[in-house]
Amino acid sequence: MKGNHSWLSSLNPACKLFAHLLVMFMLMAISDFRETLAIWLLAVAIGISIGGWRISYLLKRLLPYFGFFVMIFWMMAAFGKGEETIWSWAWFHVTKESVSHGLTISLRMLGFVTYGLLFTSTTDLTSFIMSLIHQCRLSPKWAYGLLAGFRFIPLFQSELSQMKAAHKIRGYKQKNSWKAFARYSLPLFTQGIRKSERIAIAMEARGFTGSRDRTYYQTTKLAGKDFVYFIGLMVVVFGVWMAGFVL
Amino acid sequence: MQTNMYLGCNHLSVRFYQHRKKIVDDITLSIHPGEKLLILGPSGCGKSTLISALSGIIPEFLDAEVTGEVVRRERAGVMFQDPDSQFCMLHVDEEIAFSLENRRIPRGKMDEMISDVMDKAGLNIDKRTSIESLSGGMKQRLALACILALDPEVLFFDEPTAQLDPQGRIEIFELLKNLSRQTGQTMVFVEHVLDGCIEWMDRVILLNKDGRMIGSGKPEEVLREFDAEIKEAGIWRPKLFPVKWNDVVENHDHPVSAELTRFIETRSEEHRFVGGNPMIRVEDATIGYGKKAIVQDLNLTIHKGEWISIVGKNGSGKSTFLKSLARLESLRKGKIYFLEKELSKWPDVELYEKAGFVFQNPELQFIADMVFEEIAFGGRQRNWTEEQIQEKTHQLLREFGLEAHRDAHPFTLSLGQKRRLSVATMLLFDQDVLLLDEPTFGQDEKTAKELIKKLKERQAQGTTIIMVTHDMNLVDQCSDKVLLLKNGKAAYYGTPYSLFMNEVLLEDSSLVPPLHYKLVHARKELSLV
Repeated sequence: MKGNHSWLSSLNPACKLFAHLLVMFMLMAISDFRETLAIWLLAVAIGISIGGWRISYLLKRLLPYFGFFVMIFWMMAAFGKGEETIWSWAWFHVTKESVSHGLTISLRMLGFVTYGLLFTSTTDLTSFIMSLIHQCRLSPKWAYGLLAGFRFIPLFQSELSQMKAAHKIRGYKQKNSWKAFARYSLPLFTQGIRKSERIAIAMEARGFTGSRDRTYYQTTKLAGKDFVYFIGLMVVVFGVWMAGFVL
Repeated sequence: MQTNMYLGCNHLSVRFYQHRKKIVDDITLSIHPGEKLLILGPSGCGKSTLISALSGIIPEFLDAEVTGEVVRRERAGVMFQDPDSQFCMLHVDEEIAFSLENRRIPRGKMDEMISDVMDKAGLNIDKRTSIESLSGGMKQRLALACILALDPEVLFFDEPTAQLDPQGRIEIFELLKNLSRQTGQTMVFVEHVLDGCIEWMDRVILLNKDGRMIGSGKPEEVLREFDAEIKEAGIWRPKLFPVKWNDVVENHDHPVSAELTRFIETRSEEHRFVGGNPMIRVEDATIGYGKKAIVQDLNLTIHKGEWISIVGKNGSGKSTFLKSLARLESLRKGKIYFLEKELSKWPDVELYEKAGFVFQNPELQFIADMVFEEIAFGGRQRNWTEEQIQEKTHQLLREFGLEAHRDAHPFTLSLGQKRRLSVATMLLFDQDVLLLDEPTFGQDEKTAKELIKKLKERQAQGTTIIMVTHDMNLVDQCSDKVLLLKNGKAAYYGTPYSLFMNEVLLEDSSLVPPLHYKLVHARKELSLV
């Protein structure tokens, strides 16, 4: 997670996350595919206008999910229940209702992914954690622990690939994936525990106590533009939702 | 007890609750302000524990039974050996700021203080650099900057260079030496490589394996009096100290000078082994990982029974090339022939019966939960008969001195035993080629020498050995040929003698040759002046 230099990435991460979570909740409550489509298009529009997304980036990131989109849609549409048959062949039975359901569910999935991506692609991990401390009253003990943990991910990846190579040389054949998982995870965990103990000691030796009684190098604050984004997004999404009832 | 003690301990003993034996036993020590103290001892002798007790990590953050008195300084900084497990943030500035935040320094003062400690630690990089992208040496510089930000009265160093290559080690020692000159800071070291640090220590103390202090005094005295103990402890003894290099160069009658000269003469006359049939042939190969090509246009032949060393800077592609030879990385371009058959055409099972690969970190290559099974693994996969497995495995256990540990879990072995086991597992099929990625890295002198001896025995039986290493003495003593990788090219492939005699090439690739070659170059320079 890294920030880009867009307007969206200058917003307060906790506030932005809260806004996106609320939109996701509303998406869950909406059962009309036109409204869902509008809210998803809104996310794409935000990403391109103030989120610093390029079309190429958007395609690269969302393309795998379009595959899911088609699959979910087809499963819902072709096997769903409904009255008004549009098309029917062999065991496929497409009805007006099932098409509408399929579109809602698959667009909802796409909406979730896009709002999530909108958050992760414009948020710096450190400032996100800092805003959890400052705006959400998360204890520094957890926050800094979380940050230290993130540093493990690339380390785990390189260790795993080395273990796989070692197994290959020794002629280990992967018979079932659960056994392989147990095989790789034990050494990774032991290394992980040892490393995290060392990190904990190193942090404490540098005077870290985990209490809130400390100063901060990076502070995140709530500013006017955070409210503008939050309220703006809420009004538009809620408006789209309500428009469905009126029309 | 002395009331005016600055830092130290009086009859200090430490025992961890899960052990019955004391790890530090009855140590009395007084450290003066500004003193540079070096603590030596075999691995597991309690050196690190002693430092932890003096710095306050024990008993504050690590539980242990402590008896005796300890006098501590209020502000102490500790630098650890593993560059990867002492940071908790993602960028350089945040990491240094973490120390300042803990001290409750107001935000307004932080920027200035961060630049200040970065200067002191020789960290001339952008402060938003991500920590992950730093080399080991740079990470240790950052660790130093972080503890300097604590404004410490005393600095503790727990093997700060153990995970660095020789170049990185020289840089860190040089930096610390200058720092100690400028600030007069009190420093306490634990190290097992003495070159580069023992020259500027005020006092050395030596512990034995029971955690008792057996020697204390000036560096040259301790080295002289306890030579046998230091050797037994596996400490990499200094190659020159207390002799001064300038004396050796200028004085032809100096005993060290005479010895080195004699040595170089035998080297020049020596004929290196020229191997048998071609084992591995590399043709126009380009190697790399991901999308990036690292080394291009490689052409070379390795013959049966040769010992090849691969050298070069960090990131020059040594390890990647080694992995390509065992088909663990795929080639970007070109071909590798293994026993005259294209490498990519070999089936896995047959290939790895002929080639073994020893990884840098042995723990990541262990796959069984018993030493015996670890070695027998390949045989079981191939459905060998029980007798065959027993016989072959026992022979290897004997050869590598692991018989007593046959039922132990590989992870519980000592560092040296783990290393030997990792080699033994790769010899179950009497592999024709053994590829090793920095096999002596982080090892003490004794275990490294034992390992090299085993490898030499194997070579004498006809095994081809290909090894990535940073240790130039090892290159000089063992290898028949050296491959030097530099700037994406094979810059040299030939005998170690001609490589180390080639001053220009050495300089260009920042290789430090063994002393006897260095003497030749220094003399040449002197005669020119």
